[in-house]
Amino acid sequence: MNSIIEARGLCKHYDDVHAVDSVDLNIKPGTVMGLIGPNGAGKTTLLRTLLGLADYEGELQVLGMDPIKDRARLLQQVCFIADTAVLPRWMRVEQLLDYVAGIHPRFDRDLAERFIGATDVQPKAKVKALSKGMTVQLHLALVMAIDARLLILDEPTLGLDILFRKRFFEQLLNDYFDDERTIIISTHQVEEVQNILTEVMFMKQGRKILQSTMNDLEEDYVELHVVGAAVEQARQIDHIGQRGILGGQAFIYQGVDRARLAPLGELRTPTVSDLFVAKVGGYEGQHHV
Amino acid sequence: MSDMTRSSRWFAMVQRELQEFRGQFIIAPIVVATVLAIIMFGSVLLANRIAMLGDALFQVILSEETAGMNITLNIDDEDGDGEESVRWTVVEELPVPEEPAISGAEPESVPQPDPHPEPDIVMEADPDPVDAKEWDFSRNWTFKPRTKRDSKAERDEPPVDSLDPFLNAVHIFMLFVLIIVTIGYLLDSFYRDRRDRSVLFWKSMPVSEWEEVFTKLAVAALVAPAVFLAVSLVLQIVIVLLSMLLVWRMDMDPFDVILSNVHFGRLLVDQVGGWFLTALWVAPFYAWMMLASAFAKRSPFLVAVTPVLALIFLEEIFIGSSYVASAVGSHIPHYVGGGSAVGFYLFGPDWGNLNFLSMVLGLIVAGLLLLGVVYLRRYRFER
Repeated sequence: MNSIIEARGLCKHYDDVHAVDSVDLNIKPGTVMGLIGPNGAGKTTLLRTLLGLADYEGELQVLGMDPIKDRARLLQQVCFIADTAVLPRWMRVEQLLDYVAGIHPRFDRDLAERFIGATDVQPKAKVKALSKGMTVQLHLALVMAIDARLLILDEPTLGLDILFRKRFFEQLLNDYFDDERTIIISTHQVEEVQNILTEVMFMKQGRKILQSTMNDLEEDYVELHVVGAAVEQARQIDHIGQRGILGGQAFIYQGVDRARLAPLGELRTPTVSDLFVAKVGGYEGQHHV
Repeated sequence: MSDMTRSSRWFAMVQRELQEFRGQFIIAPIVVATVLAIIMFGSVLLANRIAMLGDALFQVILSEETAGMNITLNIDDEDGDGEESVRWTVVEELPVPEEPAISGAEPESVPQPDPHPEPDIVMEADPDPVDAKEWDFSRNWTFKPRTKRDSKAERDEPPVDSLDPFLNAVHIFMLFVLIIVTIGYLLDSFYRDRRDRSVLFWKSMPVSEWEEVFTKLAVAALVAPAVFLAVSLVLQIVIVLLSMLLVWRMDMDPFDVILSNVHFGRLLVDQVGGWFLTALWVAPFYAWMMLASAFAKRSPFLVAVTPVLALIFLEEIFIGSSYVASAVGSHIPHYVGGGSAVGFYLFGPDWGNLNFLSMVLGLIVAGLLLLGVVYLRRYRFER
């Protein structure tokens, strides 16, 4: 099967800043990829280039198209929520539906109305009268009613409370995702998305640090919780991350035989956020996810 | 894509513009027209000289058979200190039918070199009849309907002694509102959505930058004028009906006095055709406004005005010429009276006197400016 996104040596710089620095990408259909990185890592810029919203250097094809030249055609099959609260505030919900129905050939108005009906959003309401959470629900309802092959969400739940966030990702998984669709989500709230991801990508300073499927991640990385005297022994083995836990230490190893570690303590699969800290935040890095 | 979905796309895009700018493009013309109609209706009820619109109309009707009777709308563009302003004033000089020569009007039999002599009655197009006798619009464009017609075809016409000039005056007022509203729209067109970040939503829809730019240009140059023209026509019909009512109250035959003196066909062709030509003329002006709107970080108005003024100023100082000023001056919405064919065609297109070179250059400039708008919209929409 062809790739949804194929990029080689993708670069984008603003003046002297390399926002995206020679990134290679190959994303297959049916992937749910989490794009994770600290602020200023270039996540948004990368997503903008994929959507034809920013020019770039290097090679890039999205659904086999040039995102800048074929942007209008590409966007019939690619949906995105670039930020929270970007819906036009002066519009009424039904006007918004009229517009998308008129513009978008793959939009199913009935479906959108059904999604909206499940929320507190009233069809006659103006967008500016909606709360932030309701605005995001409305936007998601619109986007999910579009039969797209690629959905890009850039920090879609930023600033929402936990109930809205949970519902957002649950709905995405239950009502939208299927084997053919590809979703890319950039977010800070790694814990909330990691159970729906099939793949992760870490970025730092415009560079891709890691791209792996969740399955490979479980095989390649292991977290060891040790207490007592075994800590020194565990430290001797080459690890990529270490942090304190109650009464001992947790080490993250990459490509180390589990049989060698098992006698020292309890083996686990590292969470994406702990792995992120280990890979991107550096040794003994702070938790900033 | 089928024709069906294509036309629904354009409809959706235009509908969206009219929804966003409903106050400017739908409510404003209706309110203005309603106010004018109410004033007119008030004059009919009173049927005396209190209300000026009715008053002016009175003169027309009473002097129906008078050769030299004229209604002209005269707008000064000199305001003492050089500041241009638009002033709508009422001056009444009722010609005495028995003594046309004294009143300055010419007898019907004499060929008319100038079908519009000096203003005999100048109407005030002010919705408030009691208050302010003038409106001061401190804008750097003028709005000056021509008081003289120059083309040969029109020379043989008898002097206007019907309701036509009055209806034209009403129409001018509607166009005047249209221009103010359109300038505001264009300056906002590519700025407002960047300011409130909804540009990121519009950009998530499969609409190309060219489609977006052409939709907004079409709304400014065609759709909004069509709305205003339609409202203006309805208003004119209402005024005709009201004046028939007035005449009827005065025990005259409304069909004979009013209807036989209104040239609906001519008015329609002139008003619609006049706008068509105006749209071609002002295209570069509109495109420039859009460019300023797409470029501006803070004030599209300043971005639109400052470089043009600077250019005119620098040319004046260093070269001593004023090509920029005259080029700009001829393409902004204004009306140059007298014989000039350049400007704002309120009454009818004057193809014979058209400066085709200037028009074509203007259209080329408009095209280049639109190219710039598309570029800014594609790559610089977040600054």
